[in-house]
Amino acid sequence: MELWILFGTFVTLMLIGTPIAFCLGVASFATVAYMGLPPLVVFQRLNSGMSVFSLLAIPFFIYAGDLMVRGGIASRIVAFAGSLVGHLRGGLGQVNIAASTLFGGISGSAVAEAAAVGGLMIPQMKARGYGVDYAVNVTSMAALIALLLPPSHNMIIYSISAGGKISIADLFTAGIIPGLMLAGALMITAYFVARSRGYPTEAFPGFQAVAHLAAVAVPGLLLIGIIFGGVRSGIFTATESSCIAVLYALLVTVFVYRQMTWEAFIDATMGAVRTTAMVLLIIGTAAAFSWLMAYMRVPASLVAAMNAVSENPYVILILMNLLLLGLGTFMDMGPLIIIATPIFLPVAQAYGVDPVHFGVIMILNLGIGLNTPPVGAVQFVACAVGKISVWRAMRSIWPFYGAGLIVLALVTYVPALSLWLPSVFR
Amino acid sequence: QEIVLKSSDTHPDGYPTVEAVKYMGELLKERSNGRIAVEVYHSAQLGEEKDTIEQTRAGVIDLNRVSMGPFNGLVPETRVVSLPYIFRSTDHMHKVMDGDVGQEILAGFEPHGLVGLAYYDGGARSFYNSQKPITSVEDLKGMKFRVMQSDIFVDMVNALGANAVPLPYGEVYSSIETGVIDGAENNFPSYESAKHSEVAKHYSLDEHLIVPEVLVMAKSSWDKLSPEDQALVKQAAKDSVEKQRELWEAREKESRKMVEDAGSTITTPDKQPFIDAMGPVYEKHVTDEKLKSLVERIRAVQ
Amino acid sequence: MQQTLPSGPLGHVARVLGRVSSLALWAAGFGLVLMTAMVAWQVYCRYILNDSPSWTEPGAVMLMSWFIFLGAAVGVRENNHLGFDILLYVLPHGGKRVLRMISDVVILAFGLGMIFYGWQLAMLASDAILPSLGISGAYDYYPVVGGGILVSLFTLERIALRLSGAPVDEGLEIATPEAEVELDAVDDARDARA
Ligand code: NA
Ligand code: NA
Repeated sequence: MELWILFGTFVTLMLIGTPIAFCLGVASFATVAYMGLPPLVVFQRLNSGMSVFSLLAIPFFIYAGDLMVRGGIASRIVAFAGSLVGHLRGGLGQVNIAASTLFGGISGSAVAEAAAVGGLMIPQMKARGYGVDYAVNVTSMAALIALLLPPSHNMIIYSISAGGKISIADLFTAGIIPGLMLAGALMITAYFVARSRGYPTEAFPGFQAVAHLAAVAVPGLLLIGIIFGGVRSGIFTATESSCIAVLYALLVTVFVYRQMTWEAFIDATMGAVRTTAMVLLIIGTAAAFSWLMAYMRVPASLVAAMNAVSENPYVILILMNLLLLGLGTFMDMGPLIIIATPIFLPVAQAYGVDPVHFGVIMILNLGIGLNTPPVGAVQFVACAVGKISVWRAMRSIWPFYGAGLIVLALVTYVPALSLWLPSVFR
Repeated sequence: QEIVLKSSDTHPDGYPTVEAVKYMGELLKERSNGRIAVEVYHSAQLGEEKDTIEQTRAGVIDLNRVSMGPFNGLVPETRVVSLPYIFRSTDHMHKVMDGDVGQEILAGFEPHGLVGLAYYDGGARSFYNSQKPITSVEDLKGMKFRVMQSDIFVDMVNALGANAVPLPYGEVYSSIETGVIDGAENNFPSYESAKHSEVAKHYSLDEHLIVPEVLVMAKSSWDKLSPEDQALVKQAAKDSVEKQRELWEAREKESRKMVEDAGSTITTPDKQPFIDAMGPVYEKHVTDEKLKSLVERIRAVQ
Repeated sequence: MQQTLPSGPLGHVARVLGRVSSLALWAAGFGLVLMTAMVAWQVYCRYILNDSPSWTEPGAVMLMSWFIFLGAAVGVRENNHLGFDILLYVLPHGGKRVLRMISDVVILAFGLGMIFYGWQLAMLASDAILPSLGISGAYDYYPVVGGGILVSLFTLERIALRLSGAPVDEGLEIATPEAEVELDAVDDARDARA
């Protein structure tokens, strides 16, 4: 009965359009009241769930991303990527993906990436005769690269949800090969779709122009090295690197590019506050929700149920992937990581799956969910930038979903893709 | 079954404290003819220690196995056992905690909505690092050690000439690995199970902290029990202590062997210079009369 | 969201709350900047000075707690929390109003819970001393109470405005907060280059 109240309230409120944070919070509140437990526990979880030092990475990386977009780092990276791969078939689509890969190396938010790269690329693609749906789909899928390449605050949320005992540096490193694979798979897909639609290529601007654009983009791109090198050489921790990213973004946009005005700085700050407050409020209420699930022993029952279905680890991994994909279509990534990690990770570990590997599987899986209606923040941004409906984007997104799912299958069943690189750095 | 006592533990399933509380539950079930049972939520499923202490005080959960550290800000008496080198050995700690001083500290929980039931072993904490074997206080000079978020521990590390770095526990492994810090300090089972032994190969048995852990019950849950059931709970908790000490000793030996087999070196420095360096720490933290007398009484126990 | 405020006392209250809201947003923004400085200081002290301050970590976390609750309350007033608005999209105007009203009542209940139980938690924790900061444990929960007060005020305001017939539910789309903010950034970036 308690479980019905918890999920019933949650689903009902969600359907009538109550903000997710409050759906989770009020469902927990109602359930605790029904069970006769002191309701203060809900508000304690709300507060403790977000009062975690490692979560500081979320406001910082989002803040850094906002500063990069407003201060001209993003636009220079797009220009550089354009000179590199614009001459390939479906040139601007390739540029979009290359730019997302570069920007993904300095930003952790797929939504910020869809806005930054999409905002610059989609209008250009429209003007050069590309279908808007194509431009939108390339943008939204390529934005997922940011989740896998370091830095990635979702990896940090995962590590915390797993009890903080998974090395964040390892998780960061583990995402690199899968992230580059996703980039490669999308570039190939973009190529074939572009060929069948007869999209043009761009002229190669010449090595001199490439060198010039590279030089202009270097101050921004250096952040990749600073974050990765700084964490790996022990100057700062993974969490602290997010703060360094903010400082560095400020430094470059104010002193090197001289594009950051006082007004843009205030806008970026307020924007980051608005975004992170909402993301973290959901994380807090999700913590209350998952506390109740633990209290009712839901994870243990689910493990038992899964064991009853099959004992084959491959089957279990498929089951978990399907479940995560299903949940990801209608829930946002952050709360899902918090709710699903304590439930699924013990199962995965019981079947011998490495927690770092499982983290990469989960991030990629839920990332695809950011790109599916009805709740898909990345898809929404890309559609809004392209000014088309989600349903129109959906008609031609399938080849790109296909690419994402192939990469997900490879990442799931070839652990070395995730685990080899961290072992090299150890 | 009429009464199910929900109990929290931050350690994973199979850990000596988790098993001891489960054992206590079995005893209770048997002795109450199945009326009273204990359900253990291990692995911090219900929250970290600071949070579950609040939950216990509010009556959300009934039992809680907690370290002494998080109580230092709440129950002043517990500060005395968190002082570095206060206990000479595990035997000394057992004698103290089984005696009057132990009872007095347990009584300190009462005004804060908690009933102290029993003490468990938490082993001895020592330093480990990635750089070099520590054989003297001088070796510690300038090294960076992660400590728990507590002023006493920060002051202790600084008094030894090293630098205390308060970091979240979850970031310790990567931080040692990358060199943000040189090492940390903990007991053998944690050193082994958190895999810190993979990145910090030098363990030095200075045993600066021998801190018992404590099993507390919510005062509100306690008051709901009949006097007979209260006696049952108290006795079962008491009987689980012996079991826990056995399990702990076995686990400690096992962990020590595991890290040694995996290539960790264990050094045993002369403890006296370490103890001598603690003067300023005691001066700063043992200020009120009650704490002073507790320190003296603990030292007097032979 | 409220371009056409009703005249009279309700409009006056709404204007005052508008100022409270922007004050809260500025405070939260200042908190974010201060937090950046604190963590940078922590890195500087450890890496350069070899002397880690123990207050930066709990201090930054407490600051974050404040700016999240303030920012979240502002988000309630600006109506841009992440939601699953499919039903709102297809329903006629009247049905939409009813559903928004239910949502607001639910949010109000949670806001009041934040005040009441946040205060209970503060009192419960008040006899403990927070490590490193050396202040009462109650400070951990004041952000919950403060955020609860603002969430409740802003929700009450919207309920009252809706009852008075003000168009508070206009312009709702299937948007996410992150999306809104980032789209805003796109526009700004384009303006900057134009
Ligand atoms: Na990234
Ligand atoms: Na989705």
